[in-house]
Amino acid sequence: MPYQLENRPPDLRESMYFPEIIRGIGTVTRHFLRNLFFSRDRNPDILERRRGAFGVADSVTLQYPEERQPYPPGYRGLHRLVPREDGRPRCVACYMCATACPAQCIYIEAGEVPDDPIEKYPVKFVIDELRCVVCGFCVEACPKDAIRMDTGEHAPPSYERSAQIWDETRLLRGPAVSYQYDPWLRRGSPSIPPEKLEEMRARAKPFPSVATDEYCQTPGFSVRVLAAEAKERGERAALAKR
Amino acid sequence: MKRLVGMILVLSGLLAFLVLLSAGFYLAAGWSGWGLNGLLNWIFDTEGVNRAWVYYGAGIANALTLLFVVAMGSGSLLTVAERKWSAMMQNRIGANRIRVLGTPLGGIPFLLADALKMLTKERVEPIGRTRFLFEMGPFMSFAPVFALFAVLPVGPGIELAAIVSEAAGLPRGTVDRVALQIVSLDAGLLYLFALGSLQVYGTSLAGWASNNKLALLGGVRATSQMISYEVSLGLSLVGTMMAYRTLRLEEMVVMQGTAALGPVPALGILVQPIGFLIFFASAFAETKRAPFDLPEGESEIVGYFVEYSGMKFGLMFLAEFVEIVVLSGVITAVFLGGWQPIVVPFSALAGAVGPFWAASIGAAIFIAKMIVVMWLQLTIRWLLPRFRFDQIQKLCWKILLPASLANIFVTGAALLLDPTPSRLMLPTALGILTLIAIAVITIATGRAPKAEAAHGAHGADHGAAHASGH
Repeated sequence: MPYQLENRPPDLRESMYFPEIIRGIGTVTRHFLRNLFFSRDRNPDILERRRGAFGVADSVTLQYPEERQPYPPGYRGLHRLVPREDGRPRCVACYMCATACPAQCIYIEAGEVPDDPIEKYPVKFVIDELRCVVCGFCVEACPKDAIRMDTGEHAPPSYERSAQIWDETRLLRGPAVSYQYDPWLRRGSPSIPPEKLEEMRARAKPFPSVATDEYCQTPGFSVRVLAAEAKERGERAALAKR
Repeated sequence: MKRLVGMILVLSGLLAFLVLLSAGFYLAAGWSGWGLNGLLNWIFDTEGVNRAWVYYGAGIANALTLLFVVAMGSGSLLTVAERKWSAMMQNRIGANRIRVLGTPLGGIPFLLADALKMLTKERVEPIGRTRFLFEMGPFMSFAPVFALFAVLPVGPGIELAAIVSEAAGLPRGTVDRVALQIVSLDAGLLYLFALGSLQVYGTSLAGWASNNKLALLGGVRATSQMISYEVSLGLSLVGTMMAYRTLRLEEMVVMQGTAALGPVPALGILVQPIGFLIFFASAFAETKRAPFDLPEGESEIVGYFVEYSGMKFGLMFLAEFVEIVVLSGVITAVFLGGWQPIVVPFSALAGAVGPFWAASIGAAIFIAKMIVVMWLQLTIRWLLPRFRFDQIQKLCWKILLPASLANIFVTGAALLLDPTPSRLMLPTALGILTLIAIAVITIATGRAPKAEAAHGAHGADHGAAHASGH
């Protein structure tokens, strides 16, 4: 952080040089001893990490692969195919995401559910994460909230390009979601047993209104709570400054 | 707090290890002397104890243990320590990616990695080099530094009988006392100066023989800087020589244990604080490390070793670290009381735990003090930016040289006027006064930071204007 330096001639002690060096050794030693004898604050929120006090090290390094800072809300991470409660994808293979994709990285093969002639599902759903430009258009385009980028992680690195091609078996993960307007809930589906259907209906949520609504986010991750915390932090900082 | 407890355990473990290590050194020295005596007796078919054979045997063992374990060991560990310690000074973590069984072990495995890298690197040599001198460069810069360690009195002398029980029956004075010191020279300090100034050949020849303008510049800078600082380096120790009236380092250490002013021992740093500061600064310039690292000057010229690769560079690099070790040893021996455990007199310690273990503890104390001084040298490296060349010369010729001359005259006057038989009381009192004056000047707060106050006042005015406006 830049700070103001006054350009002034050295006073007597400064021009004696040695006392200032000794003071400097004192400062460096303080840092050294704190970092030697105390451990770092490992709070994942690095802005909140304590430092410069007795009992805690001055270093605030984030040891990256071992420690990770959570990505901010709204971070467009790795895709996932949202499952229904019965474990099958919500996706109805409408090709909207593949059409919207500017990088053309989504490949879908549609299939019919054998005992339900009016319902489709993706036999193949492949995303090439190396081609993906992480624009999020597929999420916007999806009419069924079947594809999301809310995993909070990026595509993991790999030694082979082929490992970056994610198919439906790897993409289908995360918490299940049901909405009241889901057709398989409203009219029922032969592929879902009746008692399971009742359970799904009971847990269904109303229509999501906002993209950052908490229904659209990973459980335990609330934008509203985080925003409230940030606001509180700002107020506290303002108070401290005063 | 877990780390606090862990670090305290590690540090006390280190001290215990140093005591055991020194005990091992004493055993090695004693048994090597006794063994050589026995071996030569067997070869020449003689009997009895030959004083010279025991002395040489102990010297051989000391050369192996002190040079290869203490000097080389701490020199190479310093390469790792510099990374970790400087990281801690700069609020970083430092080298920790090589893990053994999941722990980085304080970065020590990096030592092996570095050595492997240096040894397996391609050997590139410039066209047009002066081959012989080019090959000699690393040796010439490493060997004198290494040889400097020979006169350092790491541990006090003890009777051979305390180590080798068979020697117990010998009459007193048949054999020399066994000390952790390779040779005991009459010329002690002069030997240090002589070998210390040999070092300049290594750097200047390396720079000159490389057929590279930048290396030559580095060599020239090194030469002029080292030759200038030789002067104040030598003069800064004259006061100590006068006060202790000896050139032998081990006798200086013994003198530093005597009480000079009431219970206060005549430590070198108390008798000669100004000499200590000048010696420390000049020694720093001799090691060619920051803030005196102009011969290296990696941002302007890469330095006198720019054309060296692989282990040849490694040797020069190591020479720099061994030089730190040796200078720490000299400072410990001359100014910090060597193996004297300052808080209690050595004789009391020897009475409590016996001469063998007291000597081992003394040697461990010497090494511990050395580690602290090494740490101080690294601290200063990260504290001060590099000087400009004219500033370096000005510091030497206009500040350190007159100060050391004045120090010699003041010390001489104090010694002349001192009423006590040891002639150390007045210099000690003067030195303590000097230290107190330095401490007061250092602690006294300087001018208040004006910028902050002005800013605050401005803010208050602003607020008041706002209030009145509404």
